Amino acid sequence: MSLKSLDPRINRLNLPDGEQPPMEPKAAFDQFETYEVFAQKRDNTPFTYAGPVHAPNADVAFLFAKEQYSRRSACSGLWVVQTRHIMVSPYANDDECIYDTFKVEIPEHTAWPLESYEVFHLKKRGKAHTHIGRVGATSYQEAYHKAKQAFAAQHPAVNMWVVKSKNVLQSAEEDRDMWLTLPEKKYREPAAYKVLDRIKSFKEKQQKALNK
Amino acid sequence: MYGGGNTFEAIKAEGLEEEDARKMAEFEGRIAQGEKIEPDDWMPRLYRQQLIRMIEQHAHSEIIGALPEGTWITRAPGFRRKLALMAKVQDEVGHAQLLYSAAETLGKSREEMLTDLINGKSKYSNVFNYPTYTWADSCIISWLIDAGAIVNQMANSKGSYGPYCRALERICAEEAFHLKYGHDSVVYMATGSSIQRQMVQEALNRWWSQIMTFFGPSDKLSVHTETLMRWKVKMASNDECRQQYLDMYVPKILELGLTIPDPLLKKNEDTGQWEYTEPDWDEFRRVINGDGPCNAERLGVRRMAEERGAWVRLALKNPTAKYVRPLA
Ligand SMILES: [Fe+2]
Ligand SMILES: [Fe+2]
Ligand SMILES: [Fe+2]
Repeated sequence: MSLKSLDPRINRLNLPDGEQPPMEPKAAFDQFETYEVFAQKRDNTPFTYAGPVHAPNADVAFLFAKEQYSRRSACSGLWVVQTRHIMVSPYANDDECIYDTFKVEIPEHTAWPLESYEVFHLKKRGKAHTHIGRVGATSYQEAYHKAKQAFAAQHPAVNMWVVKSKNVLQSAEEDRDMWLTLPEKKYREPAAYKVLDRIKSFKEKQQKALNK
Repeated sequence: MYGGGNTFEAIKAEGLEEEDARKMAEFEGRIAQGEKIEPDDWMPRLYRQQLIRMIEQHAHSEIIGALPEGTWITRAPGFRRKLALMAKVQDEVGHAQLLYSAAETLGKSREEMLTDLINGKSKYSNVFNYPTYTWADSCIISWLIDAGAIVNQMANSKGSYGPYCRALERICAEEAFHLKYGHDSVVYMATGSSIQRQMVQEALNRWWSQIMTFFGPSDKLSVHTETLMRWKVKMASNDECRQQYLDMYVPKILELGLTIPDPLLKKNEDTGQWEYTEPDWDEFRRVINGDGPCNAERLGVRRMAEERGAWVRLALKNPTAKYVRPLA
């Protein structure tokens, strides 16, 4: 006996009916690793944290990110970073700045030349991390220190993330047309649905019928 | 779709006394000041457990809720409705993605959550254990079940856990379209031919008791409930949500000339509270524990998708992967 549904397509699947043995627990990484996604809403605005995606590699992560985080709102660029490539500071209280409370030993310069690092700040708990700038350093620790010198005074933060620029997969300038799909999908906007006139004329008709 | 402050099982966590008093004071002080909790912060076990359960159930409800509506995409009347419903269902699946990640920041892996869903260990909104007989049922869900979800989600977006708030902000923005689309599709039928009117009235009759159970039974004022409210995990009682919902939507239903299948439903002008026939909570409990018209189908379809896609995920798996939970 197979499972009966109102939907003929489900009937055609011939799913087993009745009590099923439990599914084997999913193996580790069945759902892949996580990537963090940053989106740019308009040209010349900073990239802002959108959220994570699960993906088997950076290219697929980019596709998922585009679908998940740029499908429904304006977007002019995406950055995708493997979660494990991001160094995270502790969180400070909302009235503090993390650079005042969190101390990091600066290692001796071991390797040259300088590498580029991207710095993200969280202004307030519950908000989203925003790209604040780039520093050159030879380690995450040094990058933290350089970020403190460069940004702490102007941009106090309760939390900072730092990642090597080379680990950020960025959408390309020449692919800009991939962001141009929103205007043809007006049916996803609340403003596309105007019911008031319909309700009004319906009520008037009903009223007339009553008066008769 | 569902985003209740309550979960569908009794709260099981014990041992609040065992928590570190100094850390607890700091944690509670932060919430009292309106600051958000972020994943790396110290948090009591009850807070973590209850949030995982709640966000996970919310995620399951999104992904399972996509099924009764998704089944109507190919049969939706006209190209425009098909496009819109397809976009809505895609949004719901996207909501599940966002919520699974928010729950994952608290330490439960997505693999575990999906396994628990399929094996019936964790629940989803009970309304989706009922079938969508006609196109009108799908319209009623899009409007009136989503409306309930929005009441919940708006309340929860003011909660204390940062990642959940961020996910809900995105979700609420998308829900505005669902609500308008759903309303439009119901209005269209309710102001149409007598056959259309009859269809939508029958669908409303079928769904009304599910709508009334959507926010869950009256919460017993337990110590735990109070604690969860103080911690801004639970933002409003089930009854408060239900009352707010009735205030907002009963007039909108009635103005379409539809009737609500509850002779006792009326607003008591003295108390300002809606009175109604108490929904059948025995049926609710029976169905949520597995004995409903669509439980087997919902989990069967979900399981089939997981099992038939397994080889693709295996082929793509990266052998050098290292687990890191999402950051925020
Ligand atoms: Fe949703
Ligand atoms: Fe929904
Ligand atoms: Fe929705």
